Amino acid sequence: MDPIILGIAVVNGIIVGGLYGAIALGLSLIFGVMRVINFAHGSFLMMGLFIPFWLWKLFGINPYLAVVVAAPALFGIGYLIQATIIAPLFKRERAMILEPLSVLLLTAGVGIMLDNLALMALGPDFRGITMDFSAKAFWIGSVLNINYTRLIAFLTSIAITVGLSLFLARTDLGRAIRSTAQNRDAAALCGINVSRVYNITFGLGCAILGVIGCVMIPFYLVSPSVGLAFGVRSFIVVVLGGIGSIPGSILGGLILGVVESVTAQFVTATSASIFSFVIFILVLFLRPTGLMGMKV
Amino acid sequence: MLKQPGPRNGSLYAAPLLALLALLILPAFVRGEYYLHVLVGVLFFAYMASAWNIVCGYTGQLSLGHSALCGIGGYISTLLFINLGLTPWIGMVVGGVCATVVGVIIGYPCFRLRGPYFALTTIAFAEILRIWVENTEEILGIELRGAQGISVPLKGQSPAIFQFEGKVAYYYIVIAMLLMVMAVTLWMERSRTGFYLKAIRADQDAAEALGINSTRYLLSAMALSSFFTALGGSFYAQYFRYINPERNMGLDLSIEFALMGIVGGQGTVFGPVLGAFLLTPAGEISRATLGGRFPGLHLVIYGLVLVLAVLFLPKGLIQPIRQLFSRGGARQSAGRRAAA
Repeated sequence: MDPIILGIAVVNGIIVGGLYGAIALGLSLIFGVMRVINFAHGSFLMMGLFIPFWLWKLFGINPYLAVVVAAPALFGIGYLIQATIIAPLFKRERAMILEPLSVLLLTAGVGIMLDNLALMALGPDFRGITMDFSAKAFWIGSVLNINYTRLIAFLTSIAITVGLSLFLARTDLGRAIRSTAQNRDAAALCGINVSRVYNITFGLGCAILGVIGCVMIPFYLVSPSVGLAFGVRSFIVVVLGGIGSIPGSILGGLILGVVESVTAQFVTATSASIFSFVIFILVLFLRPTGLMGMKV
Repeated sequence: MLKQPGPRNGSLYAAPLLALLALLILPAFVRGEYYLHVLVGVLFFAYMASAWNIVCGYTGQLSLGHSALCGIGGYISTLLFINLGLTPWIGMVVGGVCATVVGVIIGYPCFRLRGPYFALTTIAFAEILRIWVENTEEILGIELRGAQGISVPLKGQSPAIFQFEGKVAYYYIVIAMLLMVMAVTLWMERSRTGFYLKAIRADQDAAEALGINSTRYLLSAMALSSFFTALGGSFYAQYFRYINPERNMGLDLSIEFALMGIVGGQGTVFGPVLGAFLLTPAGEISRATLGGRFPGLHLVIYGLVLVLAVLFLPKGLIQPIRQLFSRGGARQSAGRRAAA
């Protein structure tokens, strides 16, 4: 294999992988704090992509400016879904035996509904944005180029990860979230409103997808079925990096991106995803806590 | 949770028996192939949800990979028929045995994982198989035809090779299959294995502490479930005389089996059947009447029903019906006692 082509594949893999990592952040955060596997995660990304698309299509708003609408909107949707649909289950489980599968089924139901409501309203078409900006690229030497829109998406992903880590480490709300993650009952005894923290955590996990959607739509086609592919990828990323770990999420994303991109040089792109699943299974069997996860 | 209605409770069986009688004489009254086709679909999903229920309902582990077993059954019976001329009647048993082997091999490492990890791993295994078939045109000289799928050649009406005129024969075959899987479930539920499985579902660590070899019993349930799922997969392929990876082994199919089992009531004999009888027609009607204008409406309904079931009826739709019967049964026996 030509080392230059391999090099290009690795660079592309890193760019896409950073994005995978940031997409998986919300899933990891929600699991880390609430022990909820959010099967609707991909569907929230689908909404995060559609909001800037329609703002551009209907009002001609630049997708990068649409962040101010998309992120709060996704926060609100996530907050509401958690407060109205998932919270009642937590209240019930406090008295009964904890059954993580019922939460999983609940979010799966929400995801199936969201995906198919979008399908009903919009049809199965793929939609995308064209900007005069989107064709321009950043050149490294004379062979390697990186599209500006992808570069912006990558840098945003890193910024979100750093921002989220700082938020959790430094702010009062961040500390409240971390203490709830460690011990729900002890946090409640210290005066933390646990159900409010859960609502905010869920909203935050979704708001990240609102930001990602805005930086992704300039180079990515959106359709109502886009959620499933990214949902499954996010699970792979989170399991790879260690569930609940924020640096692990980015590391897992980078690994998945590079593996996908490099294997696609050897086999067809559709069968390349077999390798991602094989890695997923191997990690689960050999190191179930992930690369950067702690023992639960 | 573990309480079962006792076998003396006769009224519990009267309703299903009447329903069975109605199903058996139904083709005499149903005019139009379409309605019969819908009924075959309902019964097929009742069968598949019941097969899924044998392992998932009774052990509490959520498998979303059963579509792979369904696909294995379908492909093996179809390929044996096309390449060797072997009748699908034997082909489906061969497919069932192969799926059992695959199910046990995959199940062995998977059962060490619990909860969401188990569910995700079963998805991963099923997707690997589906993507591999989708990208394979031929292997060892056998044509798989990738994403295109394989058509089963029509050789004329001949019960010996699973090809019948009209849909009535398929209808009775799927009823027989459903009765078989329900009988096996009932037998398992009453057997020692059934009680062990329920103990494992309630608390695997406690069950192991009591000396139950949980891996052994989980794998026996997995083997049974795999065999019946593959049998159903063969039926699905022979009924439509067409098989492709997306349709016969896609994730959607797994979700549908699981959904019907869960909504109806997992870990019961009648629950998955009830789930299929309620959800499949709801899906079919919305697809047939509004499907053109609203693609995906039936899945919105499925999603909504799933959310409502988890929130309000965590033990499935069978639960309130069961309570009704057991209360009725209790009153009857109280009356009998009073009379004596």
